[in-house]
Amino acid sequence: MKTVIITGATSGIGFATARKLAGNGFAVIGIGHSRVNCENAKARLLGENPKAEITYFEAELMQQREVGRLADELERYISVHCGGELHALINNAGCVRSYYTTTEEGYEQQFALNHLASFLLTYRLLPYLKRAGGRIIMTCSNSHRGQKMHWDDVMLKKGYNPLTAYKQSKLCNILFARGLNDRFASGGVRAYAVEPGLVKTDIGNKETGGLVNLIWTLRKRHGVSPDVPAETFAYLCGEESNPCGLYYRGSREEKYSSEVTRESAERLFRLSEKLCGICYSEEAVL
Amino acid sequence: MNVLITGASGGLGRAFAMECAGRGCNLFLTDINEDGLSPLKNGLERRYGVCVKAKACDLTSEESVGELLNVIDSCGIRFDMLLNIAGIDFEGGFMERDRSSVLKIVSLNVEATLRITHAILQRRREGEKFSIVFVSSLASMYPMPLKATYAASKRFLLDFALALRQELREQNVNTLSLCPGGLATTQEAISGIMAQGFWGDITTNRLESVTRRTIDLVQRGKSLYIPGTVNRALSLFGKLVPRPVIAFIIYWRWKNTQKKWLCTSSD
Repeated sequence: MKTVIITGATSGIGFATARKLAGNGFAVIGIGHSRVNCENAKARLLGENPKAEITYFEAELMQQREVGRLADELERYISVHCGGELHALINNAGCVRSYYTTTEEGYEQQFALNHLASFLLTYRLLPYLKRAGGRIIMTCSNSHRGQKMHWDDVMLKKGYNPLTAYKQSKLCNILFARGLNDRFASGGVRAYAVEPGLVKTDIGNKETGGLVNLIWTLRKRHGVSPDVPAETFAYLCGEESNPCGLYYRGSREEKYSSEVTRESAERLFRLSEKLCGICYSEEAVL
Repeated sequence: MNVLITGASGGLGRAFAMECAGRGCNLFLTDINEDGLSPLKNGLERRYGVCVKAKACDLTSEESVGELLNVIDSCGIRFDMLLNIAGIDFEGGFMERDRSSVLKIVSLNVEATLRITHAILQRRREGEKFSIVFVSSLASMYPMPLKATYAASKRFLLDFALALRQELREQNVNTLSLCPGGLATTQEAISGIMAQGFWGDITTNRLESVTRRTIDLVQRGKSLYIPGTVNRALSLFGKLVPRPVIAFIIYWRWKNTQKKWLCTSSD
């Protein structure tokens, strides 16, 4: 049985994807940030599909020390229960913030969760993905198009705009996928970004206030069910050999921003390594 | 430039640390929460490449502050700026709080601030400009029922800072009181702002710009910074309207807000 890890798997797109992949015969490891949500999600999935193999881990992925702790637990679990192989890592957890707020490291929260958490978790799980010729998939968004990287102020401290921060974090997702491919595609692992479309989830209503909350409440009415983007993840996980594109909607490649270049991907990769205090080329060898 | 920041691992402290590191300052961080210091130190060093030292300290304890000063002295550090961020607030009526939490407000916000300020002034860089920021509050402008001890402790800082500024002016020391309305520092603070609805929203200031402007102003020799036009208008209102009337109005408004928001502490 192939194992997939999905972050942010207790609601929205992550939960729908967990359900879909469990139904398709994958062993699913979900990550959520509250125990109650994890337990509920697990119970719902098992209720629909009693034979499914479902495990949940809790972690506040925004904080780097929590990513570290989670990665330790996952390493043990994968070694014992999954033969040391990970078929896919779906970096889906994301947030929206109305205000400039920071993590323990002093990093802006949207940038920290939507990008750096994926960067750090992928780094830790890469050896297991390599063994399985695995896939790394980010939940991206078309909102990245038309956004440029603010290289001189990536956390937008000079004039914070929640939407700009969100869009830039989504641009980071696809740049990260590109950076992974530039480095590791020849070694058999492959990274993708998924365009989910406008989806009816609560991302803009969690821990936000005022305007952001209101706008998202109005906007999500026009969204599709999270089951729609779940199909894209199912396609990318289910194909026998790794699809060769970068950005997908359904089983089709989607057009992405011209900002996604090798140079920018490399630049973000270096910056993220610095901010996480890691170096991918020195990753642990199993 | 060497800067000491108290309450460094809280929301406001972290934002100040980032702001100073972005200006190339070397930092000495302290906070009662030891676990918060090392991630912040890592974040600052990775992002800005500045030199950061950190030591946990309970500023209300003479002994703990003594240990902190030992570390400073053994490294021979001299400071150019002190940011007094550490502070605490417990919401609720005076008689609804236990005695120790009421006294804690005064011992941290007032007594501990004096302790560290005195100690760091003795360790300022000889012959250079020295800046001190006191985090007061918009609450310092009024007598505030249901936040009585907190508001009075912040009033203490406001008056003290201004008087100290005059005393030490000739020695090239400047003090500034930061009097913000709401600041979106923590999740509790944000939920508190949301509970106040419209008023919460318009009196809330952006953390990233408040920290930047505070450092600019204290270095330019200013003594007071009230962020935001609405807050400045509210502080003027505090000067024009008789204080018993203000207390009445505030009580009437907070009573309703606190029903919506029973969050206990923020620091």
